[in-house]
Amino acid sequence: MPDASPLASVQRWMQSVILHPTGEDPGHTITASSRLSARERLLVHQRGYRLRLLECMRSLHPGSVHLLGQEIFDGFALEYLDAHPSRSPLLAGLGAGFAGHLARTRPDAEPGSEPGADREAWIDLLIDLIRCERAFTEVLDGPGPEDGTAPASPLRLLRVCAPVHTYLAAVHRGEDPEPPEPRQTGLALTRRNYMVITRELTPAAYERLHTSSSPRAQEDPR
Amino acid sequence: MPHLGFGVGLRTPHLSYIRRHLPPVGFFEIISENFLGAHGGRRQALAEIADRYPVVLHGVSMSIGSTDPLDFGYLRRLKRLAEEIRAPWVSDHVCWTGVLGVNTHDLLPLPFTEETLRHVVERVRIVQDVLERPLVLENPSSYVEFCDSTLPEWEFVGRLAEEADCGLLLDVNNVHVSAFNHDFDPVRYLRGLPHDRVVQMHLAGHTHYGTHIVDTHDAPVAEPVWELYRLATELTGSVSTLLERDDKLPPFPELLAELDRARESAAVLTGGPHA
Repeated sequence: MPDASPLASVQRWMQSVILHPTGEDPGHTITASSRLSARERLLVHQRGYRLRLLECMRSLHPGSVHLLGQEIFDGFALEYLDAHPSRSPLLAGLGAGFAGHLARTRPDAEPGSEPGADREAWIDLLIDLIRCERAFTEVLDGPGPEDGTAPASPLRLLRVCAPVHTYLAAVHRGEDPEPPEPRQTGLALTRRNYMVITRELTPAAYERLHTSSSPRAQEDPR
Repeated sequence: MPHLGFGVGLRTPHLSYIRRHLPPVGFFEIISENFLGAHGGRRQALAEIADRYPVVLHGVSMSIGSTDPLDFGYLRRLKRLAEEIRAPWVSDHVCWTGVLGVNTHDLLPLPFTEETLRHVVERVRIVQDVLERPLVLENPSSYVEFCDSTLPEWEFVGRLAEEADCGLLLDVNNVHVSAFNHDFDPVRYLRGLPHDRVVQMHLAGHTHYGTHIVDTHDAPVAEPVWELYRLATELTGSVSTLLERDDKLPPFPELLAELDRARESAAVLTGGPHA
C-alpha cells in the first residue's frame, strides 16, 4: 500500500515534476518569493538535478565526452538518466547501465532489422568506449589484494570493436586523440598498486583467459 | 561531543598533497558516499589520513525525511565505514533525496509541519540506534518553500534536535542562502536555534544570481557569511568548524589561508587559539 500521508503525496509530486518537468503551475504546493514565482523556484531544483547528474556522468566518461563533444554527450546522458533514474545512494554506479541503454536505443537501429545490418560504426565505437570506461571504474574502485579486501586483483575482460583503451588513456593524459580505427580487440583490465593496467590480448590469449576466469571478470559492463 | 578544531572537506584532488605535507588542520570531513563503494587507492588514502587526523562522515543520501522506508543496507555500510575510520560522529541533512526507490541525489526540502517533525524524529532515533553513534543533522540550502509549512525552519530544526536527541550541523552559508531565497532574517534564525545542540559548523561559498542564491561550494566564503559566522560563534561558544569546497578547487594552501580566518574569528570571540 503506498503511503497516503500528505508528506508522501508532496514528495511523490515533487519528485515527479523534477524528473519529468511539465507546464503545470506548482503554486498549489510551492509558494512564491518576493523575487521568484513558484514555477521559477521549482526550476532551480529541476535544473540542479540534471546538472548534478550530468557532471557526474561527464566525470565517469571523459573519453566519451571527448569523442562526442559535451553537448552531444549530454543529450545521450540525459536520455539515459530520464529512462533510468538513479536508485542507488552512491553516484559511482550512475553510468552502470549507460552502454546497455545505448545499445538498446541506438539511433540507427530500425525496428525489426538484423543485428549488425546497416549499423553506423561510430555508435559501436561509442558503446565500446563507454564499456571500457565502466570497466576502468570498476577495476579502480573494486576490492583488491592491496588492502586485503580480495585475494586477487580485480579483472575485467572486454572484446571491443577498436582499441578504445589507447584512446581513453590519451584522454586521461590530457591529450586530444583521433578516434581509433575499427579493429577487433581483446582487452584485460586489472590493477597493481592501486593503478589500473590495461593490456591488449591476442585472440588466443583472450579465449584462454575468458575460459579460465571467474564469471565476474566476464561480466559485460552494459 | 569533542571540539575537533578547524577542518577542511577532504576531496580527491587534494589527497596526495595532504599525505605528503600533513597540513595543520584539526580534522577532515568526507562525503560518505564517495567512499562507501570504493576499495582502491582512495580508500587506502583515507585509512592513512584517518590514522593521523580525526575524520567525520558527512552524507548526502540518508534521506532522513523521505517517506520511503529507511535503507538499512546503506546504514550498515555507513556504520562499518564510521567504525573503520573511528569517526566521532556521522552527519547528513534535514532533507529527503527521493521516494519510490529513486534517488535524485538532490537535497530536497521538507514542508515544515508537525507531521513532518514527528516523522523525522522517529527516523533519527532509529538511525542513531543502528549507527550506535551520534547523528548530526545539517540545515540545507533550499530554493522552494511549501504552502503547507506551519513552522519556521529554525524552529523545525531546533525541535528536531531536541526531540530526537541528535546534534546539529549549522551550515552558516546555508542560513544566508535560504534567508535570501525565502525572505527571512538570518540573525533571527541563528538566535532561534538551541545552541547547545550545535556540534559542528560549515562554511562555504555560493553563487548569487540576483533573484536567488545557489549553494555551489565553488568560491571563497562571502563576507555576509563571515558576519553570520561571528554571531554563530558567539552564540554557540565555538564548535568544530569546517570549510567546504567542492568545485573550482584551489590549491590546498589557499584553503588553509581561508581556514585561518575562521580560526582568528573564533579566537577573538572565545579568547584563545584553536587547532
